[in-house]
Amino acid sequence: MSARIVITGAGAISSIGAGVEEFERALYAGESGVGPSQLFGDSSVTAEVRNFSPQPWLGNKGIRVLDRVARLLSVAAHMALCGSGLARSEAGGSDPELGLVCGTMLGSLHSITSFDWSGLEDGPNYVNPMDFPNTVINSAAGQAAIKFKLGGVNSTICGGGAAGLYALHYAAEFLRLGRARALLAGGAEELSEESYLGFRKTGNTSPSGCPRPFDPERDGVVLGEGAVLLTLESEETARARGAKPWAEISGFGCAQDAHSTRAFDVRGEGATSAIELALESAGIGPAEVSCIIAAASGSRAGDEMEARALQNVFGARLGEIPVCAPKAALGESLGAAGAFGALLGTMALTKQCLPPTPGVRAVAPGIRLASQPQSFQGDVALVNAFSCDGNNAAMILRRWTD
Amino acid sequence: MRRVVITGLGLITPVGSGRQTVWQALLEGRSGIGPVTSFDTSEFPVHIGAEVKDFAPEPYVRRQPVENLGRASQMAVAAARMALDDAGLDLVSRDRRRSGVSMGTTSGEPWFVERYNDIRKAEGLEAIPGEIFPKYPSHVIPTNIAIEFDLRGPCLMIPTACAAGNYAIGYGFDLIRAGRTDVMLAGGADAFSRITYMGFARLGAIAKERCQPFDKNRKGMVPGEGAAVLVLEAAEQAAARGAKIYAEVLGYGISCDAHHMTAAHPEGEGAVRAMATALRESKRGTQDVDYISAHGTGTPTNDRVESIAVRALFGERAPRVPLSSIKSMIGHTMGAASAIEAAACALALDTGMIPPTINFEEPDPECDLDYVPNEARRTNPRVVLNNAYAFGGNNASLCLARFE
Repeated sequence: MSARIVITGAGAISSIGAGVEEFERALYAGESGVGPSQLFGDSSVTAEVRNFSPQPWLGNKGIRVLDRVARLLSVAAHMALCGSGLARSEAGGSDPELGLVCGTMLGSLHSITSFDWSGLEDGPNYVNPMDFPNTVINSAAGQAAIKFKLGGVNSTICGGGAAGLYALHYAAEFLRLGRARALLAGGAEELSEESYLGFRKTGNTSPSGCPRPFDPERDGVVLGEGAVLLTLESEETARARGAKPWAEISGFGCAQDAHSTRAFDVRGEGATSAIELALESAGIGPAEVSCIIAAASGSRAGDEMEARALQNVFGARLGEIPVCAPKAALGESLGAAGAFGALLGTMALTKQCLPPTPGVRAVAPGIRLASQPQSFQGDVALVNAFSCDGNNAAMILRRWTD
Repeated sequence: MRRVVITGLGLITPVGSGRQTVWQALLEGRSGIGPVTSFDTSEFPVHIGAEVKDFAPEPYVRRQPVENLGRASQMAVAAARMALDDAGLDLVSRDRRRSGVSMGTTSGEPWFVERYNDIRKAEGLEAIPGEIFPKYPSHVIPTNIAIEFDLRGPCLMIPTACAAGNYAIGYGFDLIRAGRTDVMLAGGADAFSRITYMGFARLGAIAKERCQPFDKNRKGMVPGEGAAVLVLEAAEQAAARGAKIYAEVLGYGISCDAHHMTAAHPEGEGAVRAMATALRESKRGTQDVDYISAHGTGTPTNDRVESIAVRALFGERAPRVPLSSIKSMIGHTMGAASAIEAAACALALDTGMIPPTINFEEPDPECDLDYVPNEARRTNPRVVLNNAYAFGGNNASLCLARFE
């Protein structure tokens, strides 16, 4: 169980760009993916992958059967495999030592709804049987496994907005147990009319169309989407094949509030526990944390809860630790969010600089958010992923130094 | 690494609810399959299903308004309460952060997708009430269990379709074994769904009259619903409190065919790997296995491929290892299936009896194993395998043993 699990590559597609390099460039330039929606029209505001076409990465073959979330995930998988030097030839069989763990909240919800709708409109004998496989929540991961011949573990993890970090932890544990040589792990979420309507109908979306994490005048979330997969492997495996680790996953904690499936527990007990457990499993104290990637989304209760949890853990020192809230740029990408946070944390540790949080005005007292990049010196990033259903997860990443 | 045991079983199934009722029905070979009542099937080519009859959630769901929970959550919470009662586990004095929930499902709470479309068709999108949305995401199933019993540890859903129960139990096992938690409520839940029914009907996969796994004349699977929750506990702790131990979880194996979304690999390549991995992680060999709880859906392909896979791994010993499918009685309860089957495996280890494959009349030359036809059998198994396969080519085999 002592194997060190490292990140050796990544693939990402989001509202601020496709590819890890473009993600990094846009993040550090302070760009935001929030804007008018192409998917929903009218005056809808989202952080969506605009003009999304998977062909540049996946070609034309076999993509017709993939729904939007499967295409996003497959693009991220393609990038991660190529970027990590793990891509396989078209010819060979599947690799039983290579797998995929995908965090998501809603998976293929739009395919599921459309299939049922087709049954209502056309009758059950006229639905397209080719659409049925996409009506399981985990279809994106299954489709990506077929496309890239990933024969090892193929798991999908749902834990609301904490799913991305759950998935990374799940994969890391599998690697520690020697159940795979390398795993792609992260999250994927698509924007759909169903999720968009759901967030609007429940009063969670921002009327102003501007997500303002930790801002006293924040008024809700802007939904986002995307997919991000990190290549995880043990230090030994990476070393043996000459892959240079970007960072190490050195701690994880999670805790349920057991409070409500639809409201943050502003007391922040679960969130506090999650961070404390993550620090404990990394074998460090709060004093060693050099930067924080927040879950804050502009949600009134959610950000209040996170601010309280951070105060609980870091106390007066919180004001000294640079914080970034990537949902200001990426929107609330639900099951993908935690994995985007982990990718961002990896970049920040490498560059010793946290990207800006676009649009920062006032912030909660004591939280060092900035609209400019924030340099720091240190080896440890804390990544939070908290969800309004009481699922709280936190991860500790450590800069890799040989 | 700590040892992990099963100390409580909660079951909501088409042949009844509760450990004793379900086990008795399975040993007697009773079928829970009948005409579908959840929705109108007049436009469908098939009309049978395995629904849970007379389920009332009120006695089980106490800490939240029942109407806040979808049917899968209601069944899951009920199964969890039964399992905790069965385990006699007092959670009050425990560190809640070291108790968690790990569940599997195929469809989560699909009823809310169906209502979404019904209302959209009748009155338009804007008429859809906001309240249905937060009840839908699949992870509300474990979350509702966590809320009901105030469990503050890990809480997650592994929606790996029809193999999900095994994934969820396996992960619960991992967390306890590694010392991250002491207690996990693990299992699966799925509610009867017109979406699932329509899909399998359109694939021509549903049998018209009954479910006959491994029989030469098998005509298909029968969609069902249900929930099972197992109390997983660190063995040392269970022994210290003098708990009844049904079985020990030895290990599990998961693999992906990476071949086709709905069709199994023709040689069962992934299925073989899942069983082999489960045995390797359990430090057991094929010669140790006394019983296999089959995935055994009753479709021509599944049962043939599963038989091939068992034969490939077990070799000449394969026909001497009894293998049965309780789906012949309870139908295919989707994400709950392998959790219910894992509970049945635990009871087989505890009672010495193995449940039959009912409706078995004519052997199929392509399925040449011992399917425990029609009659339960006393074999006193010590080590068993629980197989589960799913869309996406997901395979999971769980290895359980008598606790010694």
